[in-house]
Amino acid sequence: MPGGIAFEFPELFFTGLWLTIQISVLGLIGAIIIGTFVALARVSPLVPLRWIGGAYVEFFRNTPLIVQLFFLFLGLPFLGFRFSTDTFESIFRAAATGMALYHGAYVAEVVRGGLLGVDRGQIEAARSLGLSYLQMLRHVQLPQTFRSVIPPLGNIGIALVKNTSLASTIGVAELLYAAEIVESRTFRAEEAFVAATMLYLVLTIPLGIAVNALERRMLVAR
Amino acid sequence: MRPDTWPMFADPAIWGFFFEGLRETIYISLVSVALSFIVGIAFALGRLSRKRWIRWPSIFYIEGVRALPVLLLIVYFGIKGSALFRPIFGPDFDLPRFWAGVLGLSMYTSAVLAEIIRAGIVSLPRGQTEAARALGLSHPQTMRFVILPQALRLMVPAMMAQLTTVIKDTSLVGTIGVFELLKQGRTIYTQFFNPIEVLLIVATIYFLICFALSQASRRLEVGRAPREARVKIRDIELRDQAA
Repeated sequence: MPGGIAFEFPELFFTGLWLTIQISVLGLIGAIIIGTFVALARVSPLVPLRWIGGAYVEFFRNTPLIVQLFFLFLGLPFLGFRFSTDTFESIFRAAATGMALYHGAYVAEVVRGGLLGVDRGQIEAARSLGLSYLQMLRHVQLPQTFRSVIPPLGNIGIALVKNTSLASTIGVAELLYAAEIVESRTFRAEEAFVAATMLYLVLTIPLGIAVNALERRMLVAR
Repeated sequence: MRPDTWPMFADPAIWGFFFEGLRETIYISLVSVALSFIVGIAFALGRLSRKRWIRWPSIFYIEGVRALPVLLLIVYFGIKGSALFRPIFGPDFDLPRFWAGVLGLSMYTSAVLAEIIRAGIVSLPRGQTEAARALGLSHPQTMRFVILPQALRLMVPAMMAQLTTVIKDTSLVGTIGVFELLKQGRTIYTQFFNPIEVLLIVATIYFLICFALSQASRRLEVGRAPREARVKIRDIELRDQAA
């Protein structure tokens, strides 16, 4: 059976899968929070805030994620900051933080598109009815944005799951790391990589199908 | 804290070292993009083919590869690349690291480019194909002289955006021992214990290249692709951003 080797080394593959899922989920939650705030900064009436938001997006989108991960993992301790006293916990948190920061920039662009997609008349109407800027955001602009950004957020989620493989380069024992370890122990490269491949596909293919289905529905709805 | 190591970057030898890495990064991206472009066109056409035995394998390749992490492909070719080619080139063949990296990057990028090109082809009005066929052009001729030139031109901005992704992804081939920009940087900071300075410099170099490219692609975007094609391209851009 292809991928059967995963059951010979379950402690490596399935622990790896679990770590991949954990980093993906934490990273995505972090990215959505960061992305929303950066997007709000980018459309805010305050020019310096817009500028900071723009700089954040451009910087994180135009540098490789692996460089950012190395910075979090190697650079920050030199500046006197550690994620945790425990080494394993520390690299895990560095990886999740890196995922959140990098994908946060992409989320910000998507959310900004959603915010700008809301009809200006509604914003003006809310403001002239006496709602403050924050109330208007909370009750008018953000709820409408939420709907339109779901399918693109799904796509970012898929990218994020795939990108968690980069955590192996700073030593997180996720799926790809498991495959490399098993390969170096058994020299059964094909089997090890097929197993990792199948476990990645188990995560990304259903996500992809869900996103496509959502997208088709939204295209019809508009 | 260790002593300040910024002054060492006044030495031109260090910059020569970075430059060697940058050259490798640019080589590997250009070779990978050129290769992926050819393979990408083939799979885009394969996926649009009427023949099932061509269409289904193409769909399988494109969707399968796009669902995988590019680092997994790179590491796989790094470990097994030589063995894969031994039946062809003889038992002593050793695949250079550079080409193992190119294979991993191209496999992934070709699947993405295939989707971008396909989006360009299907967004063209059907009248184009029909007119070409009515004028007596065969199906391959229609593709070659009418559809592909227009579709590719339409997709130039999207393909440029993908080039920035490829440049960022080349930072991954350092893990299999190609001395590209990031790997050169790692060599420096393991010597001098100055990861902050080195990583900031490396990040700045990547940033300057990728930022310039993405601005250029945005400037070209003024050309108008139909809405469905734009939605498709946006999805590809979000989903296939690897590192």
